[in-house]
Amino acid sequence: MAFTIKQQLSSPAGVLKFLVKYNTIFIFILLLVFSALISDVFFTSVNLSNLLKQVSGIGVISIGMLLVILTGGIDLSVGSMVALLAVTFAILVNVVILPVAIVLTIIIGFALGSVSGYLVAYQRMAPFVATLALMTIARGLGFIYSKGSPITFKTPGGEFMSNFANNATIGIPNIAIVFFLIVILATILLRYNVFGRLIIAIGSNEEASRLSGIKVNKYKFLVYAISGALAATAAVIVASRTNLGSPNMGMAWELDAIAAVVIGGASLNGGKGSAINTLMGVLILGLIGNILNLLNVPSYPQQVVKGAIIIFAVLLQRFESK
Amino acid sequence: MKNSDSEYRLEMTGISKNFGVISVLENVNLKVKPGEIHALLGENGAGKSTLVKILSGVHQKDAGKVILDGEEINPKNTHDAQVLGISVVYQELSLVNDLSVAENIYLHKLGASKFWMNWKGMTKDAQELIDSLGFDIDASAIVRDLSIVQKQVVEIAKALSEETKILVLDEPTTVFDPTDTKKLFDNLFKLRDKGISIIYISHHLDEIFKIADSVTVLRDGVDTGSMAVSDTNTDGVIRLMIGRELKDLYPTRDVQIGEVPVLEVKDLTAKDTIVHDISFSVRPGEVLGIAGLGGSGRTETAKLVFGAHKKKSGTLILDGKEIKTMTPVCAVGYQIGFVSEDRKEEGVFLPLSIRRNISVTDFTGISGKLGFINTDTEYKNVLGLIEKLSIKTLSSEVDVKNLSGGNQQKVALAKWLSIDSKVIFIDEPTRGVDVGAKIEIYNLINEVAKKGVGVVVISSDMPEIMGIADRILVMYEGTFYGELTKEEFSEENILRYSIGKSLKQVV
Repeated sequence: MAFTIKQQLSSPAGVLKFLVKYNTIFIFILLLVFSALISDVFFTSVNLSNLLKQVSGIGVISIGMLLVILTGGIDLSVGSMVALLAVTFAILVNVVILPVAIVLTIIIGFALGSVSGYLVAYQRMAPFVATLALMTIARGLGFIYSKGSPITFKTPGGEFMSNFANNATIGIPNIAIVFFLIVILATILLRYNVFGRLIIAIGSNEEASRLSGIKVNKYKFLVYAISGALAATAAVIVASRTNLGSPNMGMAWELDAIAAVVIGGASLNGGKGSAINTLMGVLILGLIGNILNLLNVPSYPQQVVKGAIIIFAVLLQRFESK
Repeated sequence: MKNSDSEYRLEMTGISKNFGVISVLENVNLKVKPGEIHALLGENGAGKSTLVKILSGVHQKDAGKVILDGEEINPKNTHDAQVLGISVVYQELSLVNDLSVAENIYLHKLGASKFWMNWKGMTKDAQELIDSLGFDIDASAIVRDLSIVQKQVVEIAKALSEETKILVLDEPTTVFDPTDTKKLFDNLFKLRDKGISIIYISHHLDEIFKIADSVTVLRDGVDTGSMAVSDTNTDGVIRLMIGRELKDLYPTRDVQIGEVPVLEVKDLTAKDTIVHDISFSVRPGEVLGIAGLGGSGRTETAKLVFGAHKKKSGTLILDGKEIKTMTPVCAVGYQIGFVSEDRKEEGVFLPLSIRRNISVTDFTGISGKLGFINTDTEYKNVLGLIEKLSIKTLSSEVDVKNLSGGNQQKVALAKWLSIDSKVIFIDEPTRGVDVGAKIEIYNLINEVAKKGVGVVVISSDMPEIMGIADRILVMYEGTFYGELTKEEFSEENILRYSIGKSLKQVV
């Protein structure tokens, strides 16, 4: 790999090609430098660890979203799933011991994701429709089980999680470590495991996959189930950070997750995308929010800027495919 | 009618058409008189459809003249052609499923009409038109709910809704039973007697002799003759349709064909396609050819055996053991391969690298318990196959979309060689492949057979299938109609079987 990078950088056209190819990392670094220049507060450990804590929840569901998008699908239910599963976790942590509460929450997430997976893979429902239905169902169930108000942690187990979520290890927030571990795991799966190889094959040509003897339905089912399990993980993270589970959590997170995956260069047609690039997409979105906050830009203009960045990133990727 | 010196209504002279570097039509002439039924004949790919599409404005000719009623015309699109009185009923139906019969018939007028439509009047007109054809279809019915025969009738009614001077029918009777066909013919005779010129494209030679007044034959984009039907016969026409020489394209094969069949298929009938009562066997080292016209069920047969289509009944026996259920997943497990005719849609993964394309069928050899891929072994396998198949590429990491058609085809084949297939179905092995790569692919097929694989090749290219197969099964209307041994190979024999006729008796 090293020599090709060297080759590419040896000519001006090569440099441009290099920048286009690694555009997400390039945009990320550019934003990082820009942020450091215009704000004194940006490069403080408090700000940076806040930034990481803010993006970790969305980051975890973005990885699930990436897996689904790689197969050519979409999962609109993840934001609502975070709400339902945060409420679930808050209820569980108050009645059973902590490890059981965590495991049960993740199993429930996996099961809810399996419902979407079953509808998409075995009932041939359009992913958009199946997960849209799950989205409203999950949000509704969240309100039903919480009776509309947040449920606070009341047990030592809850206290432990809250401490864990708000502390750091060697300067990195614990929940960001969880997120990074998931990114690494996903990278390994996608690059070196048959699972990753096959979901990319399915996304790039489903019919050819079928005729190559790939169990297309099984893998399509699995990505939604995994996306559900990751939504549960995100739910545990965000609930622990705030010491409660609320049915209002994760509002519109599915859209941020899709945006992160797309900024990370993945194709919504499937077959193209990587976990590292999705991480970059998550960080870029987080950075923009962070720096605009530091500059005291109100939240509505922030949304406009975010949208503009998405358009810019995708336009840049068009060069790459040429 | 305008005055013109010519006795012909339509004169297409010197028509040439290239798609890229491939010449599809070369100096073709077609002359049709008013009030006659003119048959246009030719093998698959002879250029019939292209010629018709030039007439109807879908394609633009590169050279030549089209003269209608003494005036040169140059339709730029189908609307131009319709205004000139040229209506075409295509083989692949072009109806809008969600609109009513009447709306479909007058679709071309919907766009041009004023803001308000007279729905009642339109439905009444449509109903009268259909009734006059003698078919029982409700003009207010939604097209989706019609049978395929009824849809075809609506197509014809649509073509007649304009002031039609020339009506082109492309294989109109493929879906018709004899009664409907007779009704259609009666209608065509009526139209002919009204002075409409009808160009009739068909594979069914007996139909041609029943209804056509004159005939033009195309072969490989050149017209090989025009004559009155009364001046010729089936044999004469078949000779004009084929009569090509076998070039030295097909390498000879020196293979010991095994005695015991590797795959036996008995009375296999499909659930959702026309394929029925298929029986055949293929022995190790044998290249079995499957011929037949487009739509006769060749691809569907291969997909049925491979498990991509569902079966209704029948038995599959591989290596003496009966296989109860078949899906593509099982097929790969049983080491049966299938190379699709539709390379881009079903064969290869265009955006993925050669390595990822080849490895996709099997990971057991290159991955551990948890599914982690041993990339060293993978590279070794893939590079070995790239060399063996002489796939021209800089590395195994090149995306398949950047390869030529021939090299893409080799990649599609490579993934089946990587699992040591016992039987491989290859559908149209050289479609869209240049001549050099063709020979390489034929050599490859020979080599695969030499290793004891049973190879089943489906092809519309008659010289190709005769050049590489040991024997040929010919399909007609969803089942095998006849078998040809090497001694019986001839384009005429294949053609006879594929139109449901028996072989000519040798005197």
